[in-house]
Amino acid sequence: MRLPSFEYLEPENLEEALEFLANQGDEARVIAGGTDLIVRMKQRLVEPGFLISLKNLQELRFVRQENGMVVIGAMTPLSSVLDSDLIRANSPALLEAAKLIGAPPVQHFRGTMGGNLCLQTRCLYYNQSAFWRSGRTRCHKDNGETCYAEENSDRCRSANQSDGACALMALDAKVILESSRGKRILPIEEFFTGKGENPFATESDEMVTEIHVPIAAKGQGSSFQKLTYRSALDFALVSAAASLALEKGKISDARIAIGGAGASPLLLKEAAGILVGKEAKDTRAIDETADQVRRHASAFMVDNLGATLEYRQKMSGVMTKRAIRKALERAKP
Amino acid sequence: MKKMIPISLTVNKEAYDLLVPPNRTLLEVLREDLELTGTKESCGEGVCGSCTVLCDGLPIRSCLTLAAEVQGSEILTVEGLRMADGQLDPLQQSFIDHGAVQCGFCTPGILMSARAFLNQNPNPSEIHIRRAISGNICRCTGYTKIVEAIMQVAGGGEY
Repeated sequence: MRLPSFEYLEPENLEEALEFLANQGDEARVIAGGTDLIVRMKQRLVEPGFLISLKNLQELRFVRQENGMVVIGAMTPLSSVLDSDLIRANSPALLEAAKLIGAPPVQHFRGTMGGNLCLQTRCLYYNQSAFWRSGRTRCHKDNGETCYAEENSDRCRSANQSDGACALMALDAKVILESSRGKRILPIEEFFTGKGENPFATESDEMVTEIHVPIAAKGQGSSFQKLTYRSALDFALVSAAASLALEKGKISDARIAIGGAGASPLLLKEAAGILVGKEAKDTRAIDETADQVRRHASAFMVDNLGATLEYRQKMSGVMTKRAIRKALERAKP
Repeated sequence: MKKMIPISLTVNKEAYDLLVPPNRTLLEVLREDLELTGTKESCGEGVCGSCTVLCDGLPIRSCLTLAAEVQGSEILTVEGLRMADGQLDPLQQSFIDHGAVQCGFCTPGILMSARAFLNQNPNPSEIHIRRAISGNICRCTGYTKIVEAIMQVAGGGEY
């Protein structure tokens, strides 16, 4: 498959990159590792007039501690995330997620943390070659008015299958967006719009430059669990991340996120609330939480990924349970 | 016609100065411009691993990598695995000895993934080898002979 043609821009630093973005706006895409963007371009899902390469932006490749946060530069390769002791100690859920993205020997050296966070939403009926799609009218995400995933849907029902995004949602991360106009800090919930057609709250001249993950408090543990048929290469059919804090044997704080369901990783506040105040060994509370997660997440799912809807819905509860148990194991003070 | 981009690459220890269109992938440069057809294209979408080459010692998908993105890098393809004295790389020989090659289409990619992995982990366990080649798909049969071939080289202590 050949790539469509485009103009290639090579900014030397962040300032230059933002200037290019400001000038080209909608016409341009930034390319980090390219493991998602290049495929989308080959399939003619996106045909940018300009590609802004971030390869020279060494200033965006780092993991460091800053003001109670683990700060990850957007261009940090997934392999560096896996090697980071800081992330291992504070955000095991993110480490687990990074480990499961793509295949270890490949996506990890080119794929970046920022790129994974910005993974476009996906759907069986959309992520196909131009030839495949040419047989039928365009869907919502393809600038059309049909949805093949759900009959009569008036909007796109594609799913966010980014492992990193799901883990970062549970870890209460913040996303730093920069443009030539300045800097914005968004809580991760606000980084996603929930809309399949346009899943990110970025303006056309903005790009993600940093991801901030709070340093784990004492007694805090987290985990990410992903359901796939193959252990490598596959996108999540459904995934769950949990971040819990234990105080004197009781759960004092809980965040649960589900990936592979809606156009944004889902943050299930009500279900997570069930856990708060409960004993760590209260298996009934864990079952109840998982069941609530399953019911709420199911409302967002449609039959558009590589397994049946019923199976994915059921497994959303199972993955939640696994994530909670693992997080609790790690939450020992 | 969009502006051409000058790039310099070292491929299998030979230096090349090339003028490429921005949308040229590293795989296209290797196969079509340099006629190094050992590297294969199967899926073209980064899933199968048959286009794997080493870029500065690390395995990458050449089908998903723009040539312009690896400007100045050192590329190693399956043609460059052969050692200085003309002998096959022990991995290649081991693949032959173990019958780890059937149709052969996935072989160059698997050799490159395995070589990069062994360079960094001289004494890996089987599970680590399996993980290291988990991004390479063989559709002929299974992976047993491939893993055995890599295991032997790993245990041989040559690397």
